[in-house]
Amino acid sequence: MEISLTPAPRPLAASNRQQLLKLYRQMLLIRQCEEQLARSHQRGLIHGACHTYVGQEAIAVGVCANLRSDDVVFSTHRGHGHALAKGVPPRELFAELFGRQTGCSHGRGGSMHLFAPEAGLMGTTGIVGPCILQAAGAGYSFRLLKTDRVAVAFFGDGAVNNGAFHEGLNLAAIWKLPVLFVCENNQYATEVPFAYAAGNPRVAARGEAYGLPGVEVDGNDVQAVQSAAAEAVHRARRGEGATLLECKTYRTRPHAEGMGDYTYRSRAEVADWKTRCPLTSLRQLLLEDQLAEEAELTAIEAEVQEAVEDAQQFAEKSPLPDASTATAHVYSPCSTPVADARTPVAYAPGSPARELTFMQATLEGLTEAMAQDPTIFVLGEGIGKRGGNFNTTTGLYDRFGPERLRDTPICERGFVGLSTGAAMTGTRPVVDFMFVDFVLDAMGEFINQIAKMQYMSSGRLTMPILLRGCIGINGSAATHHSGSYYSLFAHIPGLRVVVPSNPHDAKGLLKRALRCHDPVVFLEHRALLGLKGLVPADDYEIEFGQAAVVRAGTDVTVVALSIAVQHTLKACAALEKDGISVELIDPRTIAPLDVATIVQSVRKTGRLLIVDESFAPCGIGAEIAAQVADQGFDDLDAPIRRLNGAHTPTPYSPTLEKAVVPNAETIAQAIRDLVAE
Amino acid sequence: MAIEITIPRLGWDMTEGVFAGWLKQDGDAVAPGDTLFSLETDKATQDVEAMDRGTLRIVPGGPRPGDRLAVGTVIGHLAAVGETAPVQQAPPGERIAVASMPPAGPAVRRLARELVIDLRCVTGTGAAGRITPKDLQQHQRPTVTASPSAAEAQLESTRRRQPTISPRAKRLAVQRGIAWQELRGSGRTGRIRERDVREAAGARRAGSVSDRSVMIDRIAPVAYAPGSPGSAPATQVPITAIRRTIADRMLHSAQSTAPVTLTTTVDATELVRLRKQFKASVANEAAVVPSYIDFLVKLLAIALQRHPLLNSRWEGDHIQVESGIHIGIAVDTEAGLLVPVVHDAGSLSLRQLAASSRDLIDRARQRRLRPDELQGGTITVSNLGPFGIDAFTPILNHPECAILGVGRIQRQPVMVQDQVVGRDMLTLNLTFDHRIVDGAPAARFLQTLCQLIENPVPQLI
Repeated sequence: MEISLTPAPRPLAASNRQQLLKLYRQMLLIRQCEEQLARSHQRGLIHGACHTYVGQEAIAVGVCANLRSDDVVFSTHRGHGHALAKGVPPRELFAELFGRQTGCSHGRGGSMHLFAPEAGLMGTTGIVGPCILQAAGAGYSFRLLKTDRVAVAFFGDGAVNNGAFHEGLNLAAIWKLPVLFVCENNQYATEVPFAYAAGNPRVAARGEAYGLPGVEVDGNDVQAVQSAAAEAVHRARRGEGATLLECKTYRTRPHAEGMGDYTYRSRAEVADWKTRCPLTSLRQLLLEDQLAEEAELTAIEAEVQEAVEDAQQFAEKSPLPDASTATAHVYSPCSTPVADARTPVAYAPGSPARELTFMQATLEGLTEAMAQDPTIFVLGEGIGKRGGNFNTTTGLYDRFGPERLRDTPICERGFVGLSTGAAMTGTRPVVDFMFVDFVLDAMGEFINQIAKMQYMSSGRLTMPILLRGCIGINGSAATHHSGSYYSLFAHIPGLRVVVPSNPHDAKGLLKRALRCHDPVVFLEHRALLGLKGLVPADDYEIEFGQAAVVRAGTDVTVVALSIAVQHTLKACAALEKDGISVELIDPRTIAPLDVATIVQSVRKTGRLLIVDESFAPCGIGAEIAAQVADQGFDDLDAPIRRLNGAHTPTPYSPTLEKAVVPNAETIAQAIRDLVAE
Repeated sequence: MAIEITIPRLGWDMTEGVFAGWLKQDGDAVAPGDTLFSLETDKATQDVEAMDRGTLRIVPGGPRPGDRLAVGTVIGHLAAVGETAPVQQAPPGERIAVASMPPAGPAVRRLARELVIDLRCVTGTGAAGRITPKDLQQHQRPTVTASPSAAEAQLESTRRRQPTISPRAKRLAVQRGIAWQELRGSGRTGRIRERDVREAAGARRAGSVSDRSVMIDRIAPVAYAPGSPGSAPATQVPITAIRRTIADRMLHSAQSTAPVTLTTTVDATELVRLRKQFKASVANEAAVVPSYIDFLVKLLAIALQRHPLLNSRWEGDHIQVESGIHIGIAVDTEAGLLVPVVHDAGSLSLRQLAASSRDLIDRARQRRLRPDELQGGTITVSNLGPFGIDAFTPILNHPECAILGVGRIQRQPVMVQDQVVGRDMLTLNLTFDHRIVDGAPAARFLQTLCQLIENPVPQLI
C-alpha cells in the first residue's frame, strides 16, 4: 500500500543530538518491551489479550517528547507504547500484564486498562472512541482550573468513523480546548482496511470540518511527529485550541498476539512496511549524520535490553493480588459517610424550615454547592442563560459565568464523555441531561467509563460526577420523554443511583451527591418538580443507602420509589378507614439499596408490596423481592407483590397514558389484595 | 543459551493445540519472522513464526502431526551458532497422547464446544465416520428417562393433600406446637396464614388444658373438614388483651417449666361436717360462710409452713424460698382467667380469709381488682370441682413452684375397718415444678395436706 506523505521539516540535526538519542532510546524501549511481552504471551504469562505497538513507536515517542509530566494522555487498547513514552516504568507495565499486585493497575486492568495518573497516563481502554471525549474533558478541566496543561488523545483510524470522534472534535473546537488529537492511522481497524471504511481517506482533512487545524505526518518518522506535535502542543498551551494530527503508520505484528495475520493483508505488504521501520531509519540517520557512534548505539541497546529483562524478572517475581480484594475500589473509599450526614426524614426539631418546591430545593442545593466548590461546573442543553428546561439552573449563569454553566450542542455521548475526562482530572462536572431518554445515547460512557473508572484504576482516580435529569410518565410527553430506566443504572457496579420523592430528600441527597467521590445518577420525576414540602434552612445532607420510613404501620409493608411514594401516601389515607395499616418505605437511593430497613419492616408486617412506575422485568422491584425472599423468607405471610407501570413504551393519548401507570386507586387495591392473600 | 520453542497460546482461552507439522527441518537456520511449524486450534490452523534467531533443534522424539499438545510444551530449541541444544526428551506427562480427532464439520465442532462434548468420545455415523449434529444429540441424551407423567402426578397429589402455609405461619406453628396440617387456611387460595395459627393457638389455650394432643383433637373437627357437606366456616374471635396475656403466660409456663402432676383422693368428711357447722351457726345471712376453697387455702398455708420448699420460685441461678405465703385463687371470669392473691393467708383467721377471698372474687368478676391484688402470689389454687371434674393437670402459674388443682367432693362408699361406709371424698391434683422439688418431697407435702383435711378442726381453732 502506497501512501503519499507530506515531508516534515528537518530540524537542525546537530543541536538535537541528545534529543534524538533520547528518542531512539525511548522507541527501542517500547520495541523491546513489546517483543518480550509477545514472547511472554506465547508462554502463557500474560493472561488476556495483548496488543503490541510494534511499528508505531515513533508516534508515542514523538508526541510525548513535547509533554510535561503534568500533561495527560488518554490511550487505546494498543497503549503499551503510550504508557512507556509518558513515563510509566517498564516494571509496572510488565507486572500489570502478568496480573501482579505491583502492576500499574494492581492487576485490575491488564493490557487494555493501564492506569498511571501520577505519570499522566489517564488510561488505556478496550473501547474505541471514548479517549477522544475524555481528553476533551481534561482540556475543559485545565481551562477551568486556569492552568496551561495539555491533554492528548491517541486513537487509531478505527475511531475516526465513530461518533465520539465527531462529537469530541466539535466540542474541543467550539470551546477552544487545549487538546491534541493524535490519530495513529495504521490502516486497519482490527482487520477492516481504513481504505474500505472511510469515504474520505484523509483523516487530517476532517479537521477543517470542525474548524480545527488538521496536520498529516509520516508516523514512522519520529522527528516529523515531534515537530508537528510541538506546534500543536504550543498552540494548546497558548489557549488557541485543539489540533488534529494524523500520523500514517503500520503495525507489523498482528492486531493481537496469537491472532492470524494474513487473512486480511499480505505477507508482502507487511514485509514492505518492515523495511520502513522507524527505529531502523532513525539509527541510520544517527550514523549517517555522524550524530552517534555504532558503539554508543550498541551501548544504548544493551542498556535497554537490561531494563526489559529487569522488568520481566520483576513481574515474574511479583506477588499476585490477594483474591479477597477482588471487589475493592468499585466505589471510592473517600465516599464513606460524612460526619453527621445522617439526617432523619423528620425535620430536625427547632430547625427553621420553609416550604419549597422540589425544583427550588435542588436549585438551592446546587447554588450552595457551586458557591462552596469552584471546581463544579454544569453541562447541558439550555442550562446557561436560559436556566434549564426545568429551571434547574435559573440564575446561576449570571452568578457563576459561562465556563461553569456551559450550554452544550445536542450530543449526549459527547458531553457525557467529556465530563468523564473532566472528573478524572480534578473538576466536578454536573451533567444536566434534561430527560433520561436523551442520555441513553451515552450509555456506553456511563457503563464502560464512568462506572468502571475507579475500579480499573484501582482507586487512583475518583469520579466525582453528578448526572441528573428527569424521568417519568406525565403530561402526554409520550415515549421519548417518559423513561425511568433507573434499574438499568442500578445494575451497574460503580454508580450511585438516587430517586428522591420529595423536596426535603431531593436537596439533602443532591448536596450529598455534590460531595461524593463516586458518580451519582440523580433522577427526578417530572410530576414531582412542583411538589411543595418543608425544607430546612440549615445546611444538611442525606447519606446514600438509608431508606426513609415515610409512614409506620403494622399490616403491610409498601416499598415505593419516586412519584409512587406520593401516590402510595394518598392510598394509605383511604386504606386507614378500612382498618388497613400500611408501613411505607422510600429507599431514596436504589444503589446503594437499604435492604435492612425493608427486611426489618417485613419482619413486623409479614407482607411486602413494591410500587414502582418503571418496568417490572429485571427491575429494582425484582431485586427488592429477591433480597426479601432471601433474608426475610420466614417472615413472609404472603407472596411478595409488585405493582409496576405497564411493560410497554409510553403512549401519548391521556386515556392510554393513564392506563400504564400505577395511581392511588390501583395501589390501594393492590394493598387490599395483598392483605387478603 | 538455546531458546525454547514452545506450543504458543494463540487465543485467550487456548489451553492446547494439535500439532500439524514442522515448516523447518532440524538444523535449519531460523530468522525472526520465519514460520516454524503449523498448529491447529479450535478456530483455525496457523503458521507459528519465530521471534528469535538460531538453528532449529527439534526435541528427540518430538511432536508428530496430529499430536494434541498443551500450551507451553517444549518442542524444540533455537541454538546459537556452535551451541548444542540441551538434551531433552519430550516430557512424558506433557504430551496428551490421544487418538486423532474424528472428522467433524465446523458447525458440529462449534456445537460440541457449546454443549461441552469431547468429540473424541462421540461415535460418528456420517460418511467415513464423520460426526453429525444428530450424533451429538444422541451422545447427549440421557439413557434412562423417568416417566414424567407418573412423577408429576405423584407430586401433584402430594400438593393437593397438603394445605399450603406461609413461611411466617409455619414458623409460628412450629413455635407454638400447632399441627398446621390440620388447619384450614384463610388466605385467598386457602393458604394458612399467621392469623390462622394464632387463632388455633388461642383456641388451644381457651380450655386451659395443657395436653397438646387433646387440644389438637379438639380443634380438628372445626378446622379440618375438607369438602364435608354443610360445614360452616370457622368463626373468628378477636383476641383480647387479657386473652393475649393468658396465652403468653401459659405458653411460657408450658415451655419453660418441668411440670409433674400428682393426683390423690382424700377423705374430706370431717371438712364437710365442719363447714356445715359454720353454715348452721350463721345467724345473719349477710355474714360470710367460708367456702371449701377457703378451708383449703387455710390448710394449704399450714402445710406450706411445714414444707417451705413448695412455697418457692425458680430464679435461674438459685431457688428462692418465699418468706410469706400468698395464695392465688384462680377465678373464671367472662373476660378469662384471673388469679387474685390472698396475701399472708397463714396469718388470717378463717373468717377473715373468707371475707377477703369473697371480696377478691367478686371484684375479679367485676374487673375491679387493683394490679397489686393480682401480684405477689407464691402458690395457686384452681378449683374445677363445681363442674364435676375430679382429676386434671393444672399449668403452673409461672414462676411459682406449685399449683393445687381441686376436684369435686363426692360422697362415695369407702371401706373403713372392713365396713363399707359413706364418706365425702375429695380429689386433689398437685402440679409441681420438678426443677425445684423431686417427686417424693412433693408427695410428702400432699400427704401432709391430706392429713390436715382429714382432721381439720385442731388446725382451725
